[in-house]
Amino acid sequence: MAKDKTEKQQIKQQQQIITDRSLYKFDFVGKRRIWFLVSTIIIIAGIVLIFVRGFNFGIDFLGGNLMEIKFKQNVSVTELRKVMGDIGYGSAILQSTAPDQYIIRTVPLDIKEKTKILDNLDQKIGIVRPLMQDRNVAAGFSSQIIKNALIAVAISIVGILIYIWIRFEVRFAVVAIIELIHDLLILLGFYAITYREFNSTSIAVILTILGYSLSDTIVVFDRIREEIRLTKKDSFYDIVNYSENKTLARSLGTTATTLFPVLILLIIGNQTLKDFAFGLFVGIISGNYSSLFIGSPLLVVWNNKFPKYKK
Amino acid sequence: MKQDKVNITVIIIFVIIIGLAIWSIFTYPIKLGLDLKGGTQVILKATQIQQKETSSSTTSASSSGNVSSDAIDKAMLIMLNRIDKLGISEPLVTKDFNNNIVIQLPGVDNPDKAVEVIGKTAQLEFKIVEGYDETTRTYKLGPTLLTGDKLASAKAGYDNNGQVVVEFSFNSEGAKQFEKITSENIGKQLAIVLDGEVKSAPVIKSTISNNGVIEGIGSLEEAKDIALVLQTGALPVNLEIQEVRTIGPTLGQDSLRQSLIAGIIGFILVVIFMIVMYRGLGLISFIGLCSYVALLWGILSALKTPLTLPSIAGLILTIGIAVDANILIYARIKEEMYKGKTKIVAFREGFKNALKAVIDSNVTTLITAAALYRFGTGPIRGFAVTLALGIIISMFTSIIFVRAILFLMLNSKIITPGFIGVKILKNSNPKAQSQKEQ
Repeated sequence: MAKDKTEKQQIKQQQQIITDRSLYKFDFVGKRRIWFLVSTIIIIAGIVLIFVRGFNFGIDFLGGNLMEIKFKQNVSVTELRKVMGDIGYGSAILQSTAPDQYIIRTVPLDIKEKTKILDNLDQKIGIVRPLMQDRNVAAGFSSQIIKNALIAVAISIVGILIYIWIRFEVRFAVVAIIELIHDLLILLGFYAITYREFNSTSIAVILTILGYSLSDTIVVFDRIREEIRLTKKDSFYDIVNYSENKTLARSLGTTATTLFPVLILLIIGNQTLKDFAFGLFVGIISGNYSSLFIGSPLLVVWNNKFPKYKK
Repeated sequence: MKQDKVNITVIIIFVIIIGLAIWSIFTYPIKLGLDLKGGTQVILKATQIQQKETSSSTTSASSSGNVSSDAIDKAMLIMLNRIDKLGISEPLVTKDFNNNIVIQLPGVDNPDKAVEVIGKTAQLEFKIVEGYDETTRTYKLGPTLLTGDKLASAKAGYDNNGQVVVEFSFNSEGAKQFEKITSENIGKQLAIVLDGEVKSAPVIKSTISNNGVIEGIGSLEEAKDIALVLQTGALPVNLEIQEVRTIGPTLGQDSLRQSLIAGIIGFILVVIFMIVMYRGLGLISFIGLCSYVALLWGILSALKTPLTLPSIAGLILTIGIAVDANILIYARIKEEMYKGKTKIVAFREGFKNALKAVIDSNVTTLITAAALYRFGTGPIRGFAVTLALGIIISMFTSIIFVRAILFLMLNSKIITPGFIGVKILKNSNPKAQSQKEQ
């Protein structure tokens, strides 16, 4: 009988925890200054590095030739550099992808120059044809890619802004866009900090994150919108925290399930896939982080300055 | 019970659609993009043909402005014709958002050469020589009297001296004009100009009507190329190669294999995760996910969109999105049950409350997918299509299909709190739920 009573009490307690908006496990909003600081530091570090060292641009942006060659035998970088130097391409960038496999990056090549390089490599080391990959990009081609990407980013931002404005309120829309820009800056910052090659894959990744990173935010916003309607008693601070806690399981769950395949690509994938997975990995985590620690707390900050809901 | 009928109908319709999707997968096997099967992609920028006047006259080259869409379409047709004559199978010639011409050639042995032939302008012109500039060692030429579009045929061969030449003959209109030109200019030199370069300038000895030769060619191979491009006609635009990208077959296969492995392992991990978190509901979501993948794959097959690396990335990402809708709903159902609601109320409320979040978060992603499709190039477009389709299909499977299955099961004894992964609720207290809700 006594046991039954404690169980009933437990149930009641549990239900109270669930329904009382001022009882929540994690105070996301309270520690906002720390999170804002963390983000600011990463973003500033990224921006400083972008200006000081710049991105490690790939041939998509600089123009140039990239060949991935499988040799008939293992070859060391020094050996390969010597062969390339002998025919006047000592400044080529060599990257080993396997003991007998190299990516060779040079300035843009015409057919004659390319034939000369390949024939020499074939004579002195022996290469397997057809090549694994071969790209030649004219300098200046990237201006179009960048222009298109910027248009896509701008249109997306405006579209999302309008949609959230209609479905929520203007302050939600503005905060969402701030978050989006935050995620993009973090992602760009990571490219600068890790000095990973920035190429057309990176552009695709950035555009992907642009579309995806807000989904966490929208889910939290949706919950806040719902809770606001249900209560007049609780403070906005509590509502935001409560909503974040309520959606936390889903946020982490979704992030985990999205990250599984990305992580595996990062581990087993070839260079192109790794590039893709790296950006997605950073972007997804940043999107999740910013929706929990940046976006929703910003709503509280906004409400403190321009109160619309109970402070 | 009426509700049950609706649910059963929904399930039957979905099963039929999934069946169609599976049929489509086997009927139209999905095509692989160049980055997965290997091949060459060339991006060419079209510019206005510059009149290379070697004469001293003041007609300077007109700089490249915007090239008309018509000219580009015509150029694409001509190039397709040339590719055909080169014997390359399954080529793809398309135009991108920036009016660049994108040529895709699967598995070519010597991509560089093919590209050179395909992109050659092949502007053949006949002009009368008006003088010779000793300092620049160039001919002073008169206006263009006749062009290569009046040719009937062209073929490589040797002249009497054993030199490589390209023999050509005019069509009837061309022959008439050529006769007029030669008869009026006997004794003068006639320059045969190919792409701005004077190939030869023989003296006109008598009236010629229907044929001639182009001299000054390096090799028989080059002569064959010239004959080929002359036969297919001159391009109405100049083409600048922006990018040539060749992926060898091994690299493509590696990429395909690795991304499939990642997709499958990811899928399995997702399913395990869902079952651990949501027990029986996780199993149901597995059915939902499988039907999602079948539907998406089936539609991609039917649309004949080639599968590329970016679209695989899109596929993998949308698996995450598809699960997300389930997680949102299940998390909400669990929460409603913890609040003390009965399972039927909890399921209804859970679906209802989660719906808005599912739609709102997916619409924002759809907006981006639309922008990507409109302004993206090549592979990015493929990615946008996968992403958009994935979002729409996943909403259908999780909101309609999975819902119908769950609600049909709801009346049975299978669905217990344990089935959902909810531990308490031996005795649900209906009063508890109404306490705070007002």
